[in-house]
Amino acid sequence: MAEAYFPVGPGLGMEENFLSLDDILMSQEKLPGRAESALPRLAVLMGQGAGSAESIPEGSKLEIPLWLAKGLHDSKRRIISVELPKIYREAWRTVFSADANVVDLHKMGPYYYGFGSQLLNFENPENPEIAQTDSVCSLQTFIARFRRIMDSSQNAYNEDTSALVARLDELERALFQVGQKGLNDFQCWEKGQASQITASSLVQNYGKRKLAEVDG
Amino acid sequence: GDLGPFNPGLPVEVPVWLAINLKQRQKCRLIPPEWMDVGKLEEIRDQERKEETFTPMPSPYYMELTKLLLNYASDNIPRADEIRTLVKDTWDTRMAKLRLSADSFVRQQEAHAKLDNLTLMEINTTGTFLTQALDDMYKLRTNLQPGESSHSQDF
Repeated sequence: MAEAYFPVGPGLGMEENFLSLDDILMSQEKLPGRAESALPRLAVLMGQGAGSAESIPEGSKLEIPLWLAKGLHDSKRRIISVELPKIYREAWRTVFSADANVVDLHKMGPYYYGFGSQLLNFENPENPEIAQTDSVCSLQTFIARFRRIMDSSQNAYNEDTSALVARLDELERALFQVGQKGLNDFQCWEKGQASQITASSLVQNYGKRKLAEVDG
Repeated sequence: GDLGPFNPGLPVEVPVWLAINLKQRQKCRLIPPEWMDVGKLEEIRDQERKEETFTPMPSPYYMELTKLLLNYASDNIPRADEIRTLVKDTWDTRMAKLRLSADSFVRQQEAHAKLDNLTLMEINTTGTFLTQALDDMYKLRTNLQPGESSHSQDF
């Protein structure tokens, strides 16, 4: 049924795809920020202050999901300012450029590339370098990891791949799956399995459902 | 196109699908193509290992033909097992080469490449993977440009 199902893929750019489930999950990730002005009646959200009337004081540190940060962010910094998460900062970028293959992007992501691309929306006038090198850095990271993904996805035939994909970002996992599918389809053809006709999974399920109805 | 006329004992050219079908009905004997020969295939394999780029293959469907002929008419092909091994070796060499060149292609962030002597089967096996990877890479790279342009407007 996978061929008849067309999910909306992630946008992977400045704008995410509105209906992409991956992008929706990605934009839930938290982002460190700071309130630039007092936000009345919202202290409840931070778990402090009893009454609903208390406000978030100006300058307090916040952890806000990306979608909210995007909505509140303004280049003139009136409501909130956004900081780069740790993994996109200088120290980690050095680690990435040393050897991108050793990094566990799933633990740090799992939407490392998508999230990093979205961060360009918060380009502050003071630090364009960070935002720019950030994107260049994700590109370099991707390039450096490309060979490993390609090799492992196309050499591992009928093997347990969970160890291979454990450290991959969601984007890389999708890529890995595509590589595996190419290899598997080819191997199936070579063994002559592609010429065997099997019942469609739809029909099989339909038969089961009918049986269940009869039983009930 | 027109086929035939068919006369017993005389060679005639037909499409592969018909040849296989006739063979299964035991109405004919298949003649292996000229290149499907241990000596020639060894030459091709060695040439493939020597060259940096892809060498021309004896047939654009060498993989498909080998598989079909060996599966359905291995009794008509002399030294079928050796041929199978040789073709598989050539395939493996070419795939390793393809991966190597894909890697350097990505590393240098090229935008186009020329792969003249790659066969369809080889392109299809890695094609989706490669195009999707390049698509992702393109998006990551062009992320920068809208950022730059909006930036210049700020100043």
